Order: sequence, then structure tokens, then C-alpha cells
Amino acid sequence: MVTDEALASVFAGTPIDHDSAAHYRGRLERRLLINRCEDCGAWRHPPRPVCPGCWSANVRPTEVSGAGTIHLAIFLHQGPPAEGVDYATPYPVVTVELDESPGLRFTSTVVGAPDEAIRIGRRVRLDWTQRGGAPLPVFRLADEAG
Amino acid sequence: MISARNPMKDKVAIAGAATTGFTPHNTTRSQASLAAEACIQVIRDCGLTAADINGICGSAVPAAVMQATLGVPEMTWFANPSIPFGSQVAAAAAAVHAGLADVVLAYHTPYRLPWNTASALKDPFRRGGMATPGAGAGPETVAGVAGYTAWAARYLHEYGAKKEHFGYVAINDRSNAARNPAAAMKTPLTMDDYLGARMIRWPLCLLDMDVPVDGADAFIITTAERARDMPLPPVLIQAAVLGMIDRNEEDQTPGLHRHGQHVVVEALKAKSDFWTDGMDVFFPYDGFSFITLSWMENVGLCGPGEAGGFIEANWDKAANRILIDGRVPVNPHGGALSEGGSQGSGHVREAVHQLQGLAGPRQVAGARTALLTPGGFFFNAQGLTLRKG
Repeated sequence: MVTDEALASVFAGTPIDHDSAAHYRGRLERRLLINRCEDCGAWRHPPRPVCPGCWSANVRPTEVSGAGTIHLAIFLHQGPPAEGVDYATPYPVVTVELDESPGLRFTSTVVGAPDEAIRIGRRVRLDWTQRGGAPLPVFRLADEAG
Repeated sequence: MISARNPMKDKVAIAGAATTGFTPHNTTRSQASLAAEACIQVIRDCGLTAADINGICGSAVPAAVMQATLGVPEMTWFANPSIPFGSQVAAAAAAVHAGLADVVLAYHTPYRLPWNTASALKDPFRRGGMATPGAGAGPETVAGVAGYTAWAARYLHEYGAKKEHFGYVAINDRSNAARNPAAAMKTPLTMDDYLGARMIRWPLCLLDMDVPVDGADAFIITTAERARDMPLPPVLIQAAVLGMIDRNEEDQTPGLHRHGQHVVVEALKAKSDFWTDGMDVFFPYDGFSFITLSWMENVGLCGPGEAGGFIEANWDKAANRILIDGRVPVNPHGGALSEGGSQGSGHVREAVHQLQGLAGPRQVAGARTALLTPGGFFFNAQGLTLRKG
């Protein structure tokens, strides 16, 4: 397991704390980990120290499939410079409702699809790219080949 | 849990409000300088001196800095809650009602910073003011400023609303700002101008987003009794609500049907003696145009997704602005989109001036009540009912 220092260094610029560290350690292994309560089964993101539903501290970062449906979609015409981001496209940002639980959502971009195909309601699956030496979870349209 | 309990009702007053006016470019002044100007003005307007102040409630400029800047000899209470400005009003009113302070100086400094305008980076004295949200983490987020854009997209998707509906809000604000000397943007705006404006984050363009400005607003908040002895007509704080639900992250909030605004509306209605039928002037927040449509729907002026049609039915063609039932203007000072992005302090200041009869060419004749809904959806939905004392 990477040290806390190494983790903070790989994800420099992202605020990581004791509650979210496991999620980012998961990214290093290209596994998307979302907190699930071991007592009541509720999924919640972003990571909280206890289950907001039953107050159990027995919350476990649990791998999700990353399959889901686009719930929110915007297209950035400008923004802060970032590796692999071209605002001329413009750059899509989507919030995906994950299949694991109603209302459980994860936000990232969609790769490998033209903007006009990225629409609320489209099915997506998880994929990974790289930014600054750290794996970045992204989505692909589910019916896209490859 | 929503409660109608409101022992503070009409017991605390805003005795005065002052502004520096807003400038849509980088001035050569600090936030403390702008705040000091507005604070000195309002203290004088209320017939007070520094020694009369014993509470300070501000935003970015720390209370300790403000006290030192103005030479306020002694304070018994101070706070710096986070914006929007309903937080400052609520905290100051509660402190006065509870007896923690008797005369509170409240202030906010809208200021051009790297998070709201990239040109602020050109001024080295503005770089340390506030970190850019999510800087370094990449743009794959709907936290912060992108949140309203994301839910605006969902609004278009769910209701088949049109981009023009957002445009009505921008045009209304611009038409109103023409009559406000404090406003940053006064050039008349057409729907063609709006539809042709530079896209920033689809579906929202430059004219859907508030104007970054330099400026300050300041207020004196005290007991209704004390305010009656001051030179200006008191404006009573009838009720204040800072509403929030548990899923308050931008991408996890349940949906357009359930977020902080719904809590604000239910609680504010329960705590107040009047609602939309009894309001003389309406201040829905407009930091993003879409937020105004959402407040209009959620306070019950129309149903979900119907704000565009409601505005069309309540459009004053002669003045090129919204006039609800031919009577109630909406953000008559020009709001965040045209007076300038004040995170709510401009809305509160204009409401106070309207209820004091000091709004000049914008004055709503005989205005006695104002409904204000500062802020957005997630962790910043707020409500205030104010009435003439």
C-alpha cells in the first residue's frame, strides 16, 4: 500500500483526508471504490466517516461496476488548464447515476464519443485514463464498440 | 424538521443600508477599503458613531480587521458566516434578539477574485483572496460554479424549457439596472444579444452568470425599538431561514423537486405573516439566471417547469421587464446579473431602500413587504421576509 505522503503527492491538488484516502488508493489500482454501509447496505458518495442513514461507522469502500445512466451533462467552453482537456471540443462533464443504487452518483467526463451523442439518459460504462501519473476514472457510452 | 416557531418575528430591524456602488473591473482598492466606505456611510446615515456599535457581522473581511479599521472601541459579539448574505442578516438578527449585541454592523464586499473572473489574476493583490475551487483536481466536477449549469441542463431536459426562458431573467435585470446608479451593467439587452452571448458552460452563457464586481454593502441591525429612535424608517425582519437538506452535494442532491429551496419555502411561509400574494417587491436570487426560474416556481408563483410561461404572462412590455400581476417588480435594482454579483447583499440593500421609500426612480409606490430568497440549491438556499416598520 502506498504511503499517505505518496498518495497525497500522486493526487496533488486534490484534497484528500482520512475519509477519502481509500477511494483514491482504489484509483491507483483502477478500482472505483464507493462507501457502502456494512450494517444497513446504503451506498453514499462522497465518503463520509459514518453512514448517514444508520450512523454505523462500519462503512466500507466497495468496488462498483461503474455502469450507469447519465443524469447531468454539461459542456465546458473554458476552464482551468488540465492535462488531456480540450475546451475547444467543448469538454463534457457528466454526473452518472450508478446502477448500484438509486440516487448514487459519480461525476467525471465521457471519452471516445462526440458531444452530440453525450446526452442525459444515455447508458455508460467505466473506463480509465491517466492524468499527472494518476489513473482517472472516466465513462464511455455503453453501446460504443471497444 | 420544519417549525413555525419564530419568537424573533418583527423584533429586530435593519435601521439603514449603504453601498459603494459596484464596478465591473478591478479597482485599486482592497476589500477592507470598500467595506470601510460603506460601513462609515451607514453608521452616519443612522446617526451613530463607532462607539455605538457593539457587534460586527461580515463576510470575507474578518470582524477583527473591520473593528481595527473603523476604530470601534468595544465589541461584545462578532462573526464571519459564509455567504450568501442571508447568513449575515440571520446571525446578526439572532445576536441582537438574544442580547449578545445591541447594534450590529453587517457588511459584505463583492470582490473580483480568481474564482469568479480570470482577470483578477492580473492583480497580484487579489491572488491570495480565495482559492479557485477544485484547482489542480481537473474540471471533471459539478461542484461549485458548475453545479447550477448542470441542473439547468437537467431543467431543460425534464421540462422542455427553452434557453430564452433563462434570457428573460437577464433582460429583466438589465432593464431594471438602467434606473440604478449603483449598477455595474446598464447597456440595454435584447434577446438576440442574449442568445448570441459567449457560451461558458453549456447550457449557460456569459449573460446567465453574475457580473464580478468590486464594491461593498453595509447595514445597521438593531432592536426594532432602538431603530425607531434612529433617523431612517426601520425595516423589520419578520423571518429568516437558511435551508438545507442532507444530500447537499451538487451531484448527489435528489433533484429539481427536492433541495434546499423547498426547505426554505416551507419554513419561511410557516414563520411569516405574508407570502407571494402579499409581497410588494420580490428578490429571487439570480447569481445564475436559472436559479431565479427555480425560486419563482418553488415559492409557488407557478408550477415546476412553468417559470418561462409565467414570465411571458407577467411581462411589462413598455419597461421590458417582469411585473408580477402588473404590480410587483423582480430584482428592481438589476440583481446579480446586472447590478453586480453581490452574493445577496445588493438584494437585501435594495429591499431595505424600497421599504424605507429611498429607492429613487426605482421606488415601488407604497411598498410595505419584501420577499427575498438569496442563494441557490445546495448549501446556500436562504429566505427572508422583511416589512416596513
